Amino acid sequence: MNLSPSQWAALLPLIIPSVGACLIAIMALDKDQATAKWIRGAMYGTALLAVAASFWLLTELWKSGSQPSFGQLHLDRLAQFTGIFVLVAAALTIMQSWDHFHQEGWVKGETLCLLLFATVGMMLFASTSNFVLLFLALELFSIPLYALVGTVRARSESSEGGMKYFLTGAVASSCFLMGGVLIYGLSGTLDLSMAAPILKTQGLALDPLVLVGAALMLLGFLFKVSAVPFHQWTPDAYEASPHPIAGFMSVATKGVAFIALMRIFPVSFAPLGAVGAKMQSVVAVLAVATLVVGNLTALVQTNVKRMLAYSSISHAGYLMLGFVAGTPAAFNGVLFYLVIYMAMNMGAFGLLTAFGLVGEKTTFDDLRGLGWKRPAMGVAAAIFMLSLAGIPPMGGFYGKYMIFRELVGTGHVGMAILGVLASLVSAYYYLRLLVALFLQAPSAEAERLASDRPAVHAPFAGATVLVCAAIVMAGGFIQTFLSDGFTRRALVEGLGLIR
Amino acid sequence: MTWLNSHPLSFLVFAPAILGLLILALPHALGRLSRMLGFMGALAFFALSLAWLLGHGGGGVLSERAPWFTLVGLPVDYALAVDGLNLWLVILTTFLVPLTMLGTWNSIKDRIGTFAAMFLLLETGMLGALMAQDLFFFYLFWEAMLIPMYFMIGVWGGDERRYAANKFFLYTLSGSLLWLVALLYLANKAGGFNPLLMGQAASLLPFGVQCWLFIAFAVAFAIKVPLFPLHTWLPDAHVQAPTAGSVILAGVLLKLGGYGFLRFAIPMFPQASMHYAKPIAILSVIAIVYGALVAMVQRDIKKLVAYSSVSHMGFVMLGLASFTVIGTQGAMLQMLNHGISTGALFLLVGMIYDRAHTRMIADFGGVAVKMPVFTAFFFIVTLSSIGLPLTNGFVGEFWILNGTFLSGFGWGRLYACLATSGVLLGAVYMLWMFKRVFWGPENKDEDSGTHHLHSDLNLREVAVLLPIVVLIIWMGVHPKTFVAVSEAPVTALLKDANAPAPRTFVLKPAVHEAAPSHEAGAPHEGAPEASIEPAAHEVHR
Repeated sequence: MNLSPSQWAALLPLIIPSVGACLIAIMALDKDQATAKWIRGAMYGTALLAVAASFWLLTELWKSGSQPSFGQLHLDRLAQFTGIFVLVAAALTIMQSWDHFHQEGWVKGETLCLLLFATVGMMLFASTSNFVLLFLALELFSIPLYALVGTVRARSESSEGGMKYFLTGAVASSCFLMGGVLIYGLSGTLDLSMAAPILKTQGLALDPLVLVGAALMLLGFLFKVSAVPFHQWTPDAYEASPHPIAGFMSVATKGVAFIALMRIFPVSFAPLGAVGAKMQSVVAVLAVATLVVGNLTALVQTNVKRMLAYSSISHAGYLMLGFVAGTPAAFNGVLFYLVIYMAMNMGAFGLLTAFGLVGEKTTFDDLRGLGWKRPAMGVAAAIFMLSLAGIPPMGGFYGKYMIFRELVGTGHVGMAILGVLASLVSAYYYLRLLVALFLQAPSAEAERLASDRPAVHAPFAGATVLVCAAIVMAGGFIQTFLSDGFTRRALVEGLGLIR
Repeated sequence: MTWLNSHPLSFLVFAPAILGLLILALPHALGRLSRMLGFMGALAFFALSLAWLLGHGGGGVLSERAPWFTLVGLPVDYALAVDGLNLWLVILTTFLVPLTMLGTWNSIKDRIGTFAAMFLLLETGMLGALMAQDLFFFYLFWEAMLIPMYFMIGVWGGDERRYAANKFFLYTLSGSLLWLVALLYLANKAGGFNPLLMGQAASLLPFGVQCWLFIAFAVAFAIKVPLFPLHTWLPDAHVQAPTAGSVILAGVLLKLGGYGFLRFAIPMFPQASMHYAKPIAILSVIAIVYGALVAMVQRDIKKLVAYSSVSHMGFVMLGLASFTVIGTQGAMLQMLNHGISTGALFLLVGMIYDRAHTRMIADFGGVAVKMPVFTAFFFIVTLSSIGLPLTNGFVGEFWILNGTFLSGFGWGRLYACLATSGVLLGAVYMLWMFKRVFWGPENKDEDSGTHHLHSDLNLREVAVLLPIVVLIIWMGVHPKTFVAVSEAPVTALLKDANAPAPRTFVLKPAVHEAAPSHEAGAPHEGAPEASIEPAAHEVHR
């Protein structure tokens, strides 16, 4: 089979990480103690190299402006944007996991291999509107993540969280599959962007089965973004998984699920106006529930990872508000928000690694006074938390600003008020982390333990935290560059939304 | 240099932040150097602000405006300006920062470098908010200001500092987030954040919507002022904050609330603000009397000063609600007065606290014997806070009460009378406190505060207090220096707002045919000559 250069261009960004993953799996077979150190380095190097190569290919594509495709795989602007987004998150995760797994004493090649496969799956998930490919991609990134959550087998709660995530995730995937099957059965096409016009010409636009199909597919997406009431897995899975993996799940999974949702619902299903409107009202109701439940539950958490899990639920709520507004500018806001959110959350989870908190020792009390001991990390933590709370001049404010502005512009003033009240509540629990870091002295026992232990050495995690902080601040000061040069182009040229 | 000549305001706003970040990056061990660097920098900014802003002729408008970015279809301007409304507030800010740094030189024991950095970052926030002429830009500074203040209270504060810092942050945030929705709503109608355009867009909206928007603006500003009943964060924040934080909080941050009304809320929603003048005046009068009464029963000197702030800022709001030139000018002056006097009171309380490690009134007594110089300064500032003639407090309060009494609103006279009781109560709580702390026999108790007072003020502290005393007298004797520039903008503002003409009082009302028509409080069209008010400083003469 001969592939044209354009087809290669579409395929290579996905193939390279897959090949890297396979290589790592082979390297991980080595059990020789003497060479273990070198093999480890080689595995992490390979993983980073694979991610970097794919990243380079995508940025070249972005610069050239071409949007190649291979069969049902369309590597358009939006897919390239998603690819870059996921790859950056993956690179940060790989760097952080080097430090984290060394702290845990559990350095395994499989985790990297799974991580790369998940990355490929995510890139694929946002690059197609073909249902079969969508489902395959969904499984390709979900199954490695189930395994990654439970990867530190030495901790019993780790496998518990993985199991919980797997069982609920499997149900959500089958719902998604069922929804797609219904749409396929009625329209006779697997391409969702073709299905909508066909259903419309057949006069099935408001057929109950179409509605059920669309609703089931929506459920699959909402599960992945951890919207209420499909959120229960989130805190347990995050708490169980290694910090970098939790960070990766919180940003990459949510990000691609939202981007794929954007491709399917407002765009592909646009011809079925009524269905879209109904789904939008469902999203509106669930967004409200997500904001309320996510924020209020986060208030009472004592564990930082669980707090971040509920905070990630509440951020899903803000992003869903963008879908409620439903204008192209609101989708632009969603993409912008996702970029900043990636930096904020990868940074926040990276902090835990940089501070050397392992296992169960991730409560607020474990963080006390650390901001003064590690000033650079402390400043970065302040940037992340204030940005998560949406305080200017951090980038997180602009994400919220864009979404709220569109909400108000489309007449959803009540939703906007709810949104700002939710971020007021969220400010409290984000401040709690700063209170622990700066405003509380460490307990005497923690001091004694700390003096016994060797100093925490986490150079890579520290570096990623600083990079993330820089991105967040950049989002606050060169927001137009990010939004016009990056997210808006992805929407305009990828989805053809804003003309 | 050419950049500096064309962008003096940008330099003034952002230079403190740059210096602050630089200091933040200095290693911990260089704390003393950082403090010195911060102080010298702040002093330089004060000198520059004097030279640039006053040297410019005082009355003129300095402004910088450039398009900044357009996000989601709304253009945001980078717009800074210094005009009659904010000139003296800007100078007050640049003046108080180095003064406070010097006044609390040894109060902060640990992390002194970080403290200086926070202070400078806060200065940028305050100056930016004072100068910003684009509502989005203003909002950025308004919110960003919370961050350094939060850390100042939370890290260097008293025992309950965490609670106070969180309360301060969340309380202020709650008002401004709802205000953000109102801003977005209006920006959506106006197509941008320019206050002029937004005001025009607002005037086209139904009156009910205007009222809602005004309430959103007013609540955000009233929390900062703070207006009763939104004042509850203030005592906690003031008492827990370190001295420097209290001074800046009272001196500048509270002013931003009143300034926000004057700059944005009233010009943008003239009808709605007239509609709500009475409720605001009622709340102001309550704040004046209630603040004074609560201050009277305080045992902690700092808390007493904090509640006196509520009372004094109530005067500011009353002056604004009177919608007369003299009342508004009085409010402008009262904001400066309060910044100077209350700032000085907090500094003085800090000085005695650093020596005695207590602020309880009962722990003192006979301080005058031990610290005569300190007592003299405290007495002058107390008199200014009470509003004794020849001090600044008198002029501000007199103009405000005068304006309220003359105001075209029917309720003016009654409220002016009620508010006057606040002046009296002010004298009661201040003098009573003064008597218990400074006069009487020396408190011989071993554990008392007086016992621990070993040294009177040193040269540094005198150097801090002298300029304050000079200002207190200057503002009391020749207030024209400080209000002349705001005369024209305030008059124009009230004219644009179509404020009801103030009443005129003549000795024989029966002869004056225009007098009855003023009773209704409606804008009077017939005899404009009769309602022309004398300029504020002339009334005082």
